[in-house]
Amino acid sequence: MRMMVVFEKGAQLRFIGHLDLMRTMQRALRRTGLPIKYSNGFNPHIRLSFAVPLSVGVIGLRELMEVPVEDCVTADEFMQRMNAVLPDCLQIRCCKAVEDTFPALMSLVAGADYRITFVKTAEGKKAAQCFSGFMNLTEYVTNRRTKSGENPCDIRPFVLAGKCEEADDGYTIELHTAALKNGMLKPALWFDSLCEYAGCAEVPHLIYRTAILAKSQNGSLIPMEEL
Amino acid sequence: MCYDFDALLNSVEKPARYTGSEMNAQVKPFASADVTFAFCFPDTYEVAMSHLGMKILYGILNDLPYAVCERVCMPWVDMLSKMKEQNVPLCSLESRTPLKEFDIVGFTLQYEMSYTNILEMLHLGSIPVKAAQRSENDPIVVAGGPCAFNPEPLHQFIDAFMIGDGEDVIVELTDIIRDCRKNGISRRECLKKLASLRGVYVPSLYHDEYNEDGTLKSITPVEDNIPQRVLKCIVTDFENAYVPTHPPVPYVQVVFDRIMLEIMRGCTRGCRFCQAGMLYRPVRERSVDRLVEVARESVENTGYEEISLSSLSSSDYSCISQLAEKLSEELKDKRVSLSLPSLRVDKFVQDTLTHTQKVKKSSLTFAPEAGTQRLRDVINKNVTEEDLSNTLTNAFSNGWNAVKLYFMTGLPTETDEDLLGIAEMAKLAANAYYSVPKQQRVKGLRVTCSASVFVPKPFTPFQWCAQDRPEEVLRKQHMVKDAFRPLKSAAFHYHDSGVSQMEACFAVGDRRLSNVLYRAWELGCLLDGWTEQFHYDLWKQAFDDCGLSIDFYAHRVRDLDEVLPWDHIDAGISKSFLKREYEKALRAETTRDCREGCNGCGLQKLKGVCSGCE
Repeated sequence: MRMMVVFEKGAQLRFIGHLDLMRTMQRALRRTGLPIKYSNGFNPHIRLSFAVPLSVGVIGLRELMEVPVEDCVTADEFMQRMNAVLPDCLQIRCCKAVEDTFPALMSLVAGADYRITFVKTAEGKKAAQCFSGFMNLTEYVTNRRTKSGENPCDIRPFVLAGKCEEADDGYTIELHTAALKNGMLKPALWFDSLCEYAGCAEVPHLIYRTAILAKSQNGSLIPMEEL
Repeated sequence: MCYDFDALLNSVEKPARYTGSEMNAQVKPFASADVTFAFCFPDTYEVAMSHLGMKILYGILNDLPYAVCERVCMPWVDMLSKMKEQNVPLCSLESRTPLKEFDIVGFTLQYEMSYTNILEMLHLGSIPVKAAQRSENDPIVVAGGPCAFNPEPLHQFIDAFMIGDGEDVIVELTDIIRDCRKNGISRRECLKKLASLRGVYVPSLYHDEYNEDGTLKSITPVEDNIPQRVLKCIVTDFENAYVPTHPPVPYVQVVFDRIMLEIMRGCTRGCRFCQAGMLYRPVRERSVDRLVEVARESVENTGYEEISLSSLSSSDYSCISQLAEKLSEELKDKRVSLSLPSLRVDKFVQDTLTHTQKVKKSSLTFAPEAGTQRLRDVINKNVTEEDLSNTLTNAFSNGWNAVKLYFMTGLPTETDEDLLGIAEMAKLAANAYYSVPKQQRVKGLRVTCSASVFVPKPFTPFQWCAQDRPEEVLRKQHMVKDAFRPLKSAAFHYHDSGVSQMEACFAVGDRRLSNVLYRAWELGCLLDGWTEQFHYDLWKQAFDDCGLSIDFYAHRVRDLDEVLPWDHIDAGISKSFLKREYEKALRAETTRDCREGCNGCGLQKLKGVCSGCE
């Protein structure tokens, strides 16, 4: 049996990298004393896996990981014991037990929802005003940094839908994005591109991943935990 | 709150070391605390979080219901320049409170080359760098740790030093400062009260005089009621002393990212170059039962996957085999691995661990320190070639194929023959490897020898000795390097002579060096312990600008009757013992391990402190 876990990685932890987060979760799991399944071999470890890594600097509101556990563990107990040992800025929001036959979370990832917030400086206003124009483009090619160097990449097709709202204290952009053959959208790259398009200098902002998406039976993208 | 702090994090290396919020970090209400303590580590987060002392004192202070203790580390250069550019003050990790808003700012002194960082951290924290310029509202700046045993080079910057084991005195000091602040008692009066505590040295209450030849004439209290000599603090009930079983667990990988189980404090071997071996006397052990209990608690509270034993010489712990056995019994179901000291890779430990533990086969390390038996006798390092050969043969037949050997160059009485002996030791290790039948050993032997440069340290029998001049250090290093050339599977590394020279100056320096330190900091010296940040030319200029001679401090043999800058500090060991040991060293005579019988180091005068000498 595996536990499918939805957790929040708060603002204070947005700079913690993927491997560091993995180690933190393993240490937390060890502290709970729950019957976790370890790998076999010389160096037994918890075979914890995340649905998709979160970029450093991005806050995760509904992140997903799975942990192999013994059958006797209940979802409630798992969440309670984990939250007791995890810091406030890293808490489990919900979890459910799935059978071993359930596909690996990683294989289900079909997209992600992002939220970008920024303040109403002159530069920020300029970026917000150009949002519609930017969304109306049919392509936007920019350089994407990958392991093999900088490659040109059209970032427009990743974005299925988006909106920009104005509130008293700033702007909020919501993006509904899909995973494509060449991977997933880097939201920071998208925002930099918007700023570049708008011709504005650096705009201080925060990026949240609000959901990791999977394909539902009717083909639409829904939060993976709702499958 | 530090407003603009977050904005800086997007553009610096490893931002996660500035954000805190770790498991077990103590975030207590700051505003309602009676007294607040900023525990400052004058190096980066990765080094700070590897330090056991900080975990102990952080735990002790935060266990006081009326106190708050938060951590502050030295930012890396990229962060430093951003902070200066944007005028962002240095803040604590927990509540992001600027340094100057704390009642007490405390530094731990682990290494002389971190001294400039102290000045920088004070400055970044908007606290006047010089103690004399601090006002009534500024924090009291204190310091402790091994380097506090010669506090003089820092006397201009630190209000009060704590000498010796910090567990008890840090609470006494915090309480006095709390009371003084509450009752509006002046800074000067508060410092006088602190000076009355055992183990507390307030440099502004002492006055220094010099002879015509530049040597120290005296350091004396400026008022009555101030002690002539400051006696170090000693934790006598080590068994029940505080153990940090719920320390903050860092997210990012730090230097020592594991549970460090302090099995004993002090060392009985009496190596004559070793300052820790002298300062941490007497030797005190914790019982196996207590250690198993705190190990269990630590694993439960941290989730760490590894425990290592911490002490100056873990293989000397009297029940090491029993401890290894009981700990592995306790840990095997929890899948926590145990690292054992290299010297004990013997048959017994092997058998205990084979089925239960992952024994790291990469970390076999020995410190013969010198290349010949004669020189090892001089420094009283009682390791023989036979010991080493046997231990290594044993290890090589049990699956190890890499060994690290540590040496020092420039030890008193050293000759070229002693230096060439370092290469002989590497050959000895190789021979031990090849003596194991081919099918029993693991392929690919690696022998790595590293040599540091001897630095004379206060309260050691070698405190009167001179360090080799840089050109001599280089000649010796190159000679050894050449001797390694024909050795196929062995490598030789050595330390920078410039850093070691500065280390020597500040280790044995007097009050006048605080001007050099200040000047070096003004010139931009920072993070000098990091090779790429060390600028020898700037340090040299700082000495020149202050009209002081590096030679006088680092390369001069001191007269046995000379007044030393730390003579007013009482480390428990007597000067006559150190002199005796120095003279024996020059005759290459060894001194027995003091567990085999008291050598009269001076601790016997403190009643009930050392069990060995009663």
